[in-house]
Amino acid sequence: MRTSLLSPLDQTAACPRRRNAEPTMAQLVGPLRKELADSLSSCRVLVVGAGGIGCELLKNLVLTGFKNIEVIDLDTIDVSNLNRQFLFQKKHVGKSKAQVAKESVLRFCPSANITAYHDSIMNPDYNVEFFRNFQLVMNALDNRAARNHVNRMCLAADIPLIESGTAGYLGQVTVIKKGQTECYECQPKPTQKTFPGCTIRNTPSEPIHCIVWAKYLFNQLFGEEDADQEVSPDTADPEVAWNPADAAARATASNKDGDIKRVSTKEWARSTGYDPVKLFNKLFKDDIMYLLTMDKLWKKRKAPLPLDWTEIHQLESSQEEAFGTGLKDQQVLGVQGYAQLFHRSVETLRSQLIEKGEGAELVWDKDDPPAMDFVTAAANLRMNVFSMNMKSRFDVKSMAGNIIPAIATTNAVIAGLIVLEALKTLNSDFDQCRTVNLQCCSFHAQHNFDGFPNNNKFLSDFGIRNGSRLQADDFLQDYTLLVNLIHSEELEKDVEFEVVGDAPDKAPVSSVPEEGKNIANGNKDSAQPSTSSKAAAEDDDVLIVDSDEEPSSSTMETSLESSNRKRKHHDADTDDAASKRKRLDQQPADDDEDIIALD
Amino acid sequence: MTDHKTSKEQKYDRQLRLWGDHGQEALENAHVCLIKATATGTEILKNLVLPGIGAFTIVDGHKVSGEDVGNNFFLTSSSIGKNRAQAATELLQELNSDVSGNFVEESPDKLLDNDPEFFHRFSLVIGVQLPESTCLRLGSVLWDAGVTFLVCRTYGLIGYMRLIVKEHTVIESHPDNALEDLRLDQPFTELKHHIESYDLDSMEKKDHSHTPWIIVVAKYLEKWYSEHNSQLPKNYKEKEAFRQLIREGILTNENGKPEDEENFEEAIKNVNTALNPTKVPSATEDIFNAEQCENITSQSPSFWVMAQGVRDFVRNEGNGKLPVRGTIPDMIADSDKFIKLQNVYRDKAMKDAAVVSKHVKALLQSVGKPPESISEQEIKLFCKNAAFLRVVRCRSLAEEYSMDTFNKDEITSCMDSTDSEKVLYLMLHSVDRFYQQHSRYPGVYNYQVEEDINNLKLCVNSLLQEYSLNVNVKDDYIHEFCRYGAAEPHTVAAFLGGSAAQEAIKIITHQFVPFNNTFLYNAMSQTSATFQL
Repeated sequence: MRTSLLSPLDQTAACPRRRNAEPTMAQLVGPLRKELADSLSSCRVLVVGAGGIGCELLKNLVLTGFKNIEVIDLDTIDVSNLNRQFLFQKKHVGKSKAQVAKESVLRFCPSANITAYHDSIMNPDYNVEFFRNFQLVMNALDNRAARNHVNRMCLAADIPLIESGTAGYLGQVTVIKKGQTECYECQPKPTQKTFPGCTIRNTPSEPIHCIVWAKYLFNQLFGEEDADQEVSPDTADPEVAWNPADAAARATASNKDGDIKRVSTKEWARSTGYDPVKLFNKLFKDDIMYLLTMDKLWKKRKAPLPLDWTEIHQLESSQEEAFGTGLKDQQVLGVQGYAQLFHRSVETLRSQLIEKGEGAELVWDKDDPPAMDFVTAAANLRMNVFSMNMKSRFDVKSMAGNIIPAIATTNAVIAGLIVLEALKTLNSDFDQCRTVNLQCCSFHAQHNFDGFPNNNKFLSDFGIRNGSRLQADDFLQDYTLLVNLIHSEELEKDVEFEVVGDAPDKAPVSSVPEEGKNIANGNKDSAQPSTSSKAAAEDDDVLIVDSDEEPSSSTMETSLESSNRKRKHHDADTDDAASKRKRLDQQPADDDEDIIALD
Repeated sequence: MTDHKTSKEQKYDRQLRLWGDHGQEALENAHVCLIKATATGTEILKNLVLPGIGAFTIVDGHKVSGEDVGNNFFLTSSSIGKNRAQAATELLQELNSDVSGNFVEESPDKLLDNDPEFFHRFSLVIGVQLPESTCLRLGSVLWDAGVTFLVCRTYGLIGYMRLIVKEHTVIESHPDNALEDLRLDQPFTELKHHIESYDLDSMEKKDHSHTPWIIVVAKYLEKWYSEHNSQLPKNYKEKEAFRQLIREGILTNENGKPEDEENFEEAIKNVNTALNPTKVPSATEDIFNAEQCENITSQSPSFWVMAQGVRDFVRNEGNGKLPVRGTIPDMIADSDKFIKLQNVYRDKAMKDAAVVSKHVKALLQSVGKPPESISEQEIKLFCKNAAFLRVVRCRSLAEEYSMDTFNKDEITSCMDSTDSEKVLYLMLHSVDRFYQQHSRYPGVYNYQVEEDINNLKLCVNSLLQEYSLNVNVKDDYIHEFCRYGAAEPHTVAAFLGGSAAQEAIKIITHQFVPFNNTFLYNAMSQTSATFQL
């Protein structure tokens, strides 16, 4: 392996390899085998993501001799990218990352042939056929959903994939090749934290609960409404001063929709002209008083303490001493400070809404100062109500944006490693073995088919298409069958489908669970609908399991049987420099920058 | 001004989360010198310009050639024929308008001849792709001037770094798994009183389950002491028994079932680390015993002045213990109880730091320096990190190369594996020897490769002989290094550029611990190693 990239000594060529007056790739010819160096100019590669790793990667690819490169990124450039995404400058903020990256690279290396797509790689247009256009795909992504997707597409198309990620000082690069290595989803990833709705709405016990609440609140008031994320209850007439009888009536009302004419919180907020004081008193006084009426919630918990706008402004302002040193962002303000911040941010957001015109909605963005101010203020006020220690804007931003610190150096190291792995991948003769690995192959999203009314519908009606993976499991969950769907126009007449590929080695019973068997195996005493372990009990419709979720463990055990793990034991930086890494709070260590996984 | 500050905060948001605003400030005050703007050099600078170092100066007498443009992103076709320092400065400067870029169109050797003091002004000098002779000369100038020197080299598929610094002190080493400083084994008076203010037995359920776990452990420790001769639970068995003791303290409901008390669960979980005996870590002890700590002069860096201050605290007021760190972990507790407990630790930390500060001020005065030359804030930070202080001392290049002082043990140890990275080290030395004899590196011209292989082999052998190294270097390596033709492939340069810049940031910010002192990277096997040479 050590010498595989090296050229055999070319003793016949007597010409000097260096000292040209034109830009040359002289630096490559030495270390690389000639055929490999030549093949770089003809092969086509896809770079998924033009962010921290992507920028470095594009540079490394063109300077290593790759000529035909396609790059795709959905994102636009933000100021906070500029500390590492060196192909972008301040004047590019707001523009397409893929497009600007392409233009910047061409400025330096005009001979490269780069195609840029400002689009999501998950867009169905980028199907298996699209992936087959490439000799190699390189991920430079920041989220698991897209990683899973590209992993599946590359397995389906049988194109080698190089997967990578960084988080602060940590990073990793892995080569994924169907039938030769483990795939991205073969190893379980830590699941991203989710919180039960009632904790968010009624009984927060940690600051993160209040932060999630504040983000939901932002959407409820200014953004796109989502019934599952409503955190401030609708009220019959929120302007009426709170009293127990009224609250009781409201409590019943919320159980019997329609009994009392309800006004949505957003409509009400709008009707007050987004009056910050009224909003404040509803959110931190009336809503809390209402919560207090559910006294069984507070039997074992410390009850929340409502805040009143007028009262907190009567407090001595001397108590409002900010503590914490350094940047303004890192200071923790007092209740009054956050009440003021709430007031200011609501006013700013209101004028933003007005500016956008009738029916406009705001989108929450951690890098948008007023939106971030609003969440900081609202979350902290709620933390105060629920007797928690308040957090600085800096910390709230970390948690709300689920920010992974990102720096130029780690990305540079990782992108360097990716291209070295790319050279090896292109150089090796991967076994042409065609073992269909049911667990490791192409799949798109997991679907739960239990007892949903699917009569006379096509699979495509459920969003299932070429490359999708279906998971079937029996009632007792003794085994799992995964079916990878491949669209074909070439089946014989009247043949609806064809089963191809091998059954898994370790299927304990039969690999095809039949409907009747399911019932027979079922627990007859139970009237519960049969759902997969992951599906919420009340969902008996088709459920597209969030692609962030990992395959069930039974799936992975089998998949391990038939794949070889090829691991790179290379610490991203100096191995012995022990203190390189800084502990990252709560974030999964596989992302380049920022993912929002809280909702 | 405020606007500018906010925009900086926004631009640097993702890195401030790693090294803080004081780390950023150190970066912005740094002036880095890069010698030779080759691909490796510009990659390193790119990674320093992006996070916002204050200034850089490139020293390079070379004119841009076609092959430079082929592997260097910061040189374009239009820069061919221009001075390389100038061309690279122009393009690197574009990356960040907050950084000031300068260049000197001169070779490092000329500068060393005419104006060696030129190099004294920098926070850090990074030398890239330097011939051995230049490297040694520059190394000696910088060593004498006390300027940190980072040598970097991409040679084919090999990466090499060498750090040369007499003494590099680190206050914030950011250890991975630091233990909390809770003093439960030796509670200070204020903590004792605070623990006494709790009476778990007479508490309402709500208060009982919202008592911080630190108090819970402290309370049950008292109970334990009374039954165990005032000895801490030491081994696993005793700790398990102690956990059981805590478990029995969980309230039960009317049916006798234990209630859900998460704070008690936390207490049980934390028994192991919470009972760690309080002591001064050996690395800190070494610092106290160092000569620099003993002999403070008006020239002593503030690190050593503060080290003596803390040492005096430990030996006097602290009764053998470091100043209290003053932070406690997040835990289940109601706000009121948590804040009170936090304040007990914080107040004690402030008090301890104030005592240290008194020692420091007295010390400063005794050597004729104004007491305010070290700020309270610095002293607080130092006290907070007293358990994690680090001092890195690298050997000089002269020591590494001298027949009398070269590190034979390190080089020959583990050489039974003939593929150790140490072979790469010997090979790099050998190609330098080749360069000395032939004024070019082996394999640069195809027609000479065969002859070069033989000559390189001679160089390897004479090197081994001279240093009486009884090690075996496989012919494969000789062939391989000839094939490299001293090329600088971009992707290896990119890797090294990231690694070197990261070390540079550690050095500039005095945060995290840099490598000591030689780093070797093998791009073929994707392995790396560090050695003390």
